[in-house]
Amino acid sequence: MKIITQIGVLFGVCLGGVGISAVLPFPFPSSVSAMLLLFLLLLCRVIKPGQIDEIAGFLTKNMAILFLPAAVGIIESLDILRDSGIQILIICLVSTLLTFGVTATVVSLLMRLADRKERQDG
Amino acid sequence: MVNQLVSTPLFGIVLCVVTFWIGTRVNRWLRTPIANPLLIAILLCSAFLLAFRIPLEKFNIGGEIINMLVGPATAALALSIYHQRRVLGRYFLPIVAGSFAGAATSLTSVALLCRLFRLDEVILSSLLPKSVTTAIALEISTGRGGIGPVTILAVLITGVSGAVFSPLMIRLFRVKNPVAQGVAIGTCSHAVGTSKAIELGELQGAMSGIAIGVAGLMTVLITLLF
Repeated sequence: MKIITQIGVLFGVCLGGVGISAVLPFPFPSSVSAMLLLFLLLLCRVIKPGQIDEIAGFLTKNMAILFLPAAVGIIESLDILRDSGIQILIICLVSTLLTFGVTATVVSLLMRLADRKERQDG
Repeated sequence: MVNQLVSTPLFGIVLCVVTFWIGTRVNRWLRTPIANPLLIAILLCSAFLLAFRIPLEKFNIGGEIINMLVGPATAALALSIYHQRRVLGRYFLPIVAGSFAGAATSLTSVALLCRLFRLDEVILSSLLPKSVTTAIALEISTGRGGIGPVTILAVLITGVSGAVFSPLMIRLFRVKNPVAQGVAIGTCSHAVGTSKAIELGELQGAMSGIAIGVAGLMTVLITLLF
């Protein structure tokens, strides 16, 4: 019964996320609505971690296989891979390098500023 | 007989589990992030369907059932972030500002490179969200008219390259701060990169995990405007 209750709570929050995304005036992913809703409910202690931890742990640890069915749909878009596969690969690699560099630089800079401020205050 | 076999949802589910199991085995055997279990499973599943001329719609009868769990799994990330709420509170500004800058860089660089290679709008929409976790990327992509499977492949390539090259990029950009290392890995290569961040250290792993959610949210917010 425990796992059934956990599924009920998590799926219930997800349904709430679908509802929120439906009433928002702009397109917003329902799974992200559900993620924010769940985070808020946890912070407000409406939902306790123990009420969802087993199903949440199971799903997040095994997330990769959940994308397999959607990815296999690629067999209907093989022409895109043939025509633009190399370009797509280059775009992913170059963009990853840039994203890493910018993120790391911004975080390092802000951490250094925070450290300096802490030292001045202390 | 064959038609009956492939017409039950069990067919798609069993094919997914078996190919993913093989993928995990091969990954453990080769011990390199390039042999990503999901990537191997996609190849095997696709090859199986093509070789035996099984229509995708038959596979999808079972596939839909697994696919349905993607939403709850994304929502469940909230629990991981909740467990890290102290670290998130402590480094709130660097995490949020870093993820925002990273998400903006990823989106801009993809848009510019797509123009450079003269790729069409459909491919641009499919590639735009490639740095965020698959569920969020899929919703952004299909919402803008992108092709879901192309998005998943781009997300995977990005994740794998982040996991493979992050130690190299840390040296290249001389990133000494563990918080910066974690946020950068999570922002550019989501969950696949996070597996590498966990190997680098506990703080890096936690930061990378938080960055998956925060960068996903930032990407959604930025794409709302464009």
